[in-house]
Amino acid sequence: MSKSKVAFSDIELINGLRSGNNELISVLYKKYYTVVLKFIVNNSGSQEAAQDIYQETIIVLYENVQKPEFELNCQLQTYIYSVAKRLWLKHLKKNNKTFLLKEEEEDDLIDVSEEMDDYLNKEVEFEKMNRALTELGEPCTTLIKDFYVQKLSMDEIAEKFGYTNADNAKNQKYKCLQRLKKYFFEIVPIDNNNSERYESNRFI
Amino acid sequence: MRVTDLFDDYLNGQLSVDEVAQFENKLQEDALFSEAFNKHKVLIATLNKAEKRAAFKHKLKAIHANAFGNDSRIISIKEETTTKRYFKSFAFAASVAVIAVLSTIAVLSTGGYLLKKQSNQITDLMREIINLKVSNEVITENLAKGKHKAVYAPANLEGSAFALNNLGYIITSSHMVKGADSIFIQNNYLDRTLARVVLIDPKLDLAILKIINSEITQAWKVPFAIIETPTDIGEKVYTLGYPRKDMVYGEGSLSSLSGYSNDTSMYQISIPVNPGNSGGPLLNDQGNVIGVIRGKITGAEATGFAIKANEIVNSISTLAADSLKNDLFAFNKKQSLKNLKRTEQIKRINPYVFNVLVYKRD
Repeated sequence: MSKSKVAFSDIELINGLRSGNNELISVLYKKYYTVVLKFIVNNSGSQEAAQDIYQETIIVLYENVQKPEFELNCQLQTYIYSVAKRLWLKHLKKNNKTFLLKEEEEDDLIDVSEEMDDYLNKEVEFEKMNRALTELGEPCTTLIKDFYVQKLSMDEIAEKFGYTNADNAKNQKYKCLQRLKKYFFEIVPIDNNNSERYESNRFI
Repeated sequence: MRVTDLFDDYLNGQLSVDEVAQFENKLQEDALFSEAFNKHKVLIATLNKAEKRAAFKHKLKAIHANAFGNDSRIISIKEETTTKRYFKSFAFAASVAVIAVLSTIAVLSTGGYLLKKQSNQITDLMREIINLKVSNEVITENLAKGKHKAVYAPANLEGSAFALNNLGYIITSSHMVKGADSIFIQNNYLDRTLARVVLIDPKLDLAILKIINSEITQAWKVPFAIIETPTDIGEKVYTLGYPRKDMVYGEGSLSSLSGYSNDTSMYQISIPVNPGNSGGPLLNDQGNVIGVIRGKITGAEATGFAIKANEIVNSISTLAADSLKNDLFAFNKKQSLKNLKRTEQIKRINPYVFNVLVYKRD
């Protein structure tokens, strides 16, 4: 294994992230993990929490670089650190843990509230979608994803699911979609605390 | 043409120039049409974005595992072939068991807390692995004896299931198999074998599995029929299930035609059901299936609930694809246990009631 390390610039890493270049995403991911890990662990978080928060952070960045108006006005590390910190504060607040963060790097923060709000609003919507899909059950969920996400044709879907022809598949897709629509628009968003409780209930 | 199909065709560029013009005209003029179209777009866009985020997250998890190693939360159970038993290394089995003990303790402690907090809620009856200690002892014992017997990691969840028909389809509860990494079934007549989910109805809490190895089910002759017609209050009923490693029989009578908070999709029964009973059959005096054990009310020990058989049939007809439907509806129609004593009925039913072992990834 060659150990030769090529240093990539922030711009290169961001372009790699934007275009979905797996190698560059991996480089970026590895590069800043320890910074976030250190911050979380120093502020009463576990290693697992650090991993979760860091992954959320990279997702925030990933979704933001897709926007045409995205512009990085600081060092990438500062951006990542700022987002991670906001996410961690949010997490602590949600769990009613109030204590002072060690704020030694105060001056190295930027305002990421807009990005954060956008991310968190979407998170609520996605959670709703997930719950609607769970309600929907199988085979509907797979069928809907195959058509609307994987963009399979009705013929391919008919074949895969064992429908006699594309029209039958289309009928089934129609029924599934009607149900999904009903569930998705009827679901009231709940905060994550409740959803965790809902999940754990099932373990009694 | 249905409106949603029209929306899809428009979004997928499958309309002619004229049709597109017509469509866009209608968007301008018909406010309801335009609103419905926007809703449709929101739904599809949310679905796609959610999938995109999930896929990216998945990618990050893989990168993380690759770069920094898996953390202890992840217990991956590889699928095993059903014909051959693997002689897993004891070290592996033991370590998985230890990890599982730790995570189960965590789960159990939160579960216990919740149990206290909520009352009168319907309780799912899967069996958490409380016998872990036993499994560990067995492993150690086998280690000491140097036995060459297959040792399996304890499952994350266990429950009951029963055969739907001779084609290897099995009924259980969906709360059991939700988020499962792999699912095995076993009983005294059948060595642990892999099954996959073919249908899930979370609303009804119903899942249908299929045994993957079709050789196993070739000689199946399911003795009970599925009775869809409503059963009378007061009828004697019984259940067979796996609240522990061995099959356990429970009897009582049908106490109500509706379940928890008047849910008409369920029966109330006076059988004390325990964790692990979920997914087992509810049988009538003639030894035929009239329902599936669903759960109990927290605190009410001698009361259980079962999903009605006709609800299951309805669910299959709404959810299953045509070809699957034909397979699933190949029920046994003959009530072959009708004139037998209950003990004889049970002997014949036994091979078709299973212990389900569910492994989860985290």
